[in-house]
Amino acid sequence: MNDKPIISWRAAGVSLGLLLTLATYLVSPLGVSTQFVVTDAIALHSIAPEMAEGNTYLAKYGTKQDWGVGYGWMLVFGMLIGAAVTSRVLGHKQPAQDKGSMPQLWATRFGPSQIKRLSAAFVGGLLLLFGARLAGGCTSGHMISGISQLAVGSFVFGIVTFSVAILTAKFLFRQRGN
Amino acid sequence: MTLMIGFLIGCAFGAILYLGGASSYRNILGTLLLKDMTIIKLMMTAIGVGTLGIYLLDLGQLAHMSVKPAYLWGIAAGGAIFGIGWAVSGYCPGTCVVGTAEGKLDAVATLIGALVGAFLFAIAFPSLDALLIQNANFGNITLSDLIGVPGFYIAVAMSAALLFLAFFVVKDRYE
Repeated sequence: MNDKPIISWRAAGVSLGLLLTLATYLVSPLGVSTQFVVTDAIALHSIAPEMAEGNTYLAKYGTKQDWGVGYGWMLVFGMLIGAAVTSRVLGHKQPAQDKGSMPQLWATRFGPSQIKRLSAAFVGGLLLLFGARLAGGCTSGHMISGISQLAVGSFVFGIVTFSVAILTAKFLFRQRGN
Repeated sequence: MTLMIGFLIGCAFGAILYLGGASSYRNILGTLLLKDMTIIKLMMTAIGVGTLGIYLLDLGQLAHMSVKPAYLWGIAAGGAIFGIGWAVSGYCPGTCVVGTAEGKLDAVATLIGALVGAFLFAIAFPSLDALLIQNANFGNITLSDLIGVPGFYIAVAMSAALLFLAFFVVKDRYE
């Protein structure tokens, strides 16, 4: 049974490293999490402009005149389109276990409830972005781009994040009863 | 033009994450449970190649670097919160975008949660700023500034170490 990703970690890792180099040469390194703030600011400027203008953090990323849609936002929008096209064209090569909204590993541990999985995913997403904005970056901005630039803060982020994520995963999937 | 470059780089980034299996819960949890090392080896390789690439560019003063400030408390606290969210959802901010593009509902739920999380942080920012971000902030420092060795030498050593570990030491799977 084929359970390997469509391309090897070698191919994916080398192309990601080269892409990061190209991005750093042309404009600036890769980053994702800031764009969630930009997207929030855009939405809030449309529905509650006073609140958006009044928030010191959102105001850093967008104003009434300029919503802050730039290189970074287009990059994340590109990720959506690039992944959508690639998954339509090459989806037949993706291992069956990696498809769908209910991961087999999750279902084995926590049961088949879709509501439970979606709730956990929602809470996980909330923690991801609260944490990423507090730390100033995420897996791409801090870990991939930041460590590649030898940024001290990014090493700290990488070490703390991996340690806590490993402990959390080990706790969630701990063996019960034996 | 910059917008177009951003879009195209993003397309490639999304495609690589999808093709490399980074938007799969099984692969992410495999790495976090220290069993299936595919994703950590992918990351080590990307950082190994990226570090060398960026510091080669830097030798010719061609790198548009963007070093984030090292404010230790906020980064440690944020990293810990991020780590819990990563293990619970199985996505990170980039891969939930990729999963959403694949039509995975749990990725969509993570994406919506992420938008809410960013909003909650924007509300909490004024009360966290002084304590966690302005405190113990060492500015935009790199390892090179810290130990006083030119960045290129550190980059070559780290890159060689990461690629060696990924290609020859770390196994694909552990039982």
